[in-house]
Amino acid sequence: MAQQHGIIVLVDVNNALKERSLDGNAYWFDNMKFLGSTGEGTEKLTTIVPGAYFLDGSQATEQVLNWLPAALGSVPPTVPRNYLAEQARHTDQEALQGIAELAPADEAELGRIREQAGRRARRSHSSRSLVTSKVLDATGQVAGANAADTYNYPTPVITDITGPAVTEKIIYPAQYGSPDMTYDGWYWAATVDTSRPGVYAYTMHIQLHELVSRDDELVWEPVDLTCESYLKVITDPKRNAFTGAGLGVLPLPAFPPIS
Amino acid sequence: MKPKISIVVLVDAVGALSDRTLHDGNLSLVDDSPLGSRNLGTTDLVTAVVPGQVVQWTPIHVDVQTPVEIQNIEFLGAAPAPVPPPLAAPAAEEGAAVEPGYAAEPVYEADGPVLTLPDFPAAAEPWTGGPSALASNGFENHDLLVWEGIVPVTMVPGVPYRYRLSIKLHEGANSVLSIESPALLRV
Repeated sequence: MAQQHGIIVLVDVNNALKERSLDGNAYWFDNMKFLGSTGEGTEKLTTIVPGAYFLDGSQATEQVLNWLPAALGSVPPTVPRNYLAEQARHTDQEALQGIAELAPADEAELGRIREQAGRRARRSHSSRSLVTSKVLDATGQVAGANAADTYNYPTPVITDITGPAVTEKIIYPAQYGSPDMTYDGWYWAATVDTSRPGVYAYTMHIQLHELVSRDDELVWEPVDLTCESYLKVITDPKRNAFTGAGLGVLPLPAFPPIS
Repeated sequence: MKPKISIVVLVDAVGALSDRTLHDGNLSLVDDSPLGSRNLGTTDLVTAVVPGQVVQWTPIHVDVQTPVEIQNIEFLGAAPAPVPPPLAAPAAEEGAAVEPGYAAEPVYEADGPVLTLPDFPAAAEPWTGGPSALASNGFENHDLLVWEGIVPVTMVPGVPYRYRLSIKLHEGANSVLSIESPALLRV
């Protein structure tokens, strides 16, 4: 049974933001090298899509593509995406503890502050939005006063897949919900029409986030960039494995083995 | 008579490769025969069949991003003890003329229970000319093979015909693993 394709696009976020381009800053990988993909680890990946058809011409294999983004220098993608929110809430609680130790006088007032801070933390936990998350440094800790120097980039987000492969109706990409928290509960996938062989380009729309200082506040500003990859769609006929052609009698021995 | 019997070969590719065996829960065989198959869900499946039925084997990967294909299905002969295949390429011992992925041509002994088979297409000659049936853009794609065949009337009832099922997991020297425990049984 044909395996599903995994296609990873790894982005050097720091350089991509600096150059405002993914040219030379995106590295593509897939798991189909053994069937003829070329350019793994470069920005010129051509993913093989080996289709198959029955002798009546009907499509015999469904090929499925899955895309996942990754970033050089972010919190590793194996860490659950709500790590940011968890770290933010953790430091909120630590700060409250600090306040409690400094000013034990007004318990009622402290309780009110604690409740307020707790509500804010819960909100950011549920939204997991980049804007409300705290800035983490390269070690995954909350960055302090020098945040702008030591921060960790959020993982890139795929926002769309377009290009000839889509307009020619070779692939039907869509974003799907997933119970896998590692990828934020969302991923892009597509099925492929393998009945029209050829090389088709597609454009990946990727949103990066840049940390900027505005009105004395640090804000994650989205930066939308694109990069391109290719699908090489081929299709071959299915054949009977015992005969090499059509259906035949099973090649049983004249006598069964003595058991 | 049910015209077609499906045998599904479920494989945990990562488990099989790390254990270097298809046993120990890494492979499971299930069929849909209504005739009383035995040991469903294990590697010791005995599929109950009758002549004229088409039997089809389909590999399914437990993890959808792992490659799991059938490399070969070879029925074991009447030799006292089957010779274990070499680890790398079981098909290679059949000689250069036989393409990988092809079972050996059936040999019907002259003094055996040879019958004419007017109702069924004859087993084709092992196919030797032209491009490989696996060939796909210069690579071997085992997904192109359909593992199915007709149960012959020459099959002796009540005796299990065991077969060597070889599974190919990705490529490389250690990619092919085999079991010799499953069987077809004419009822």
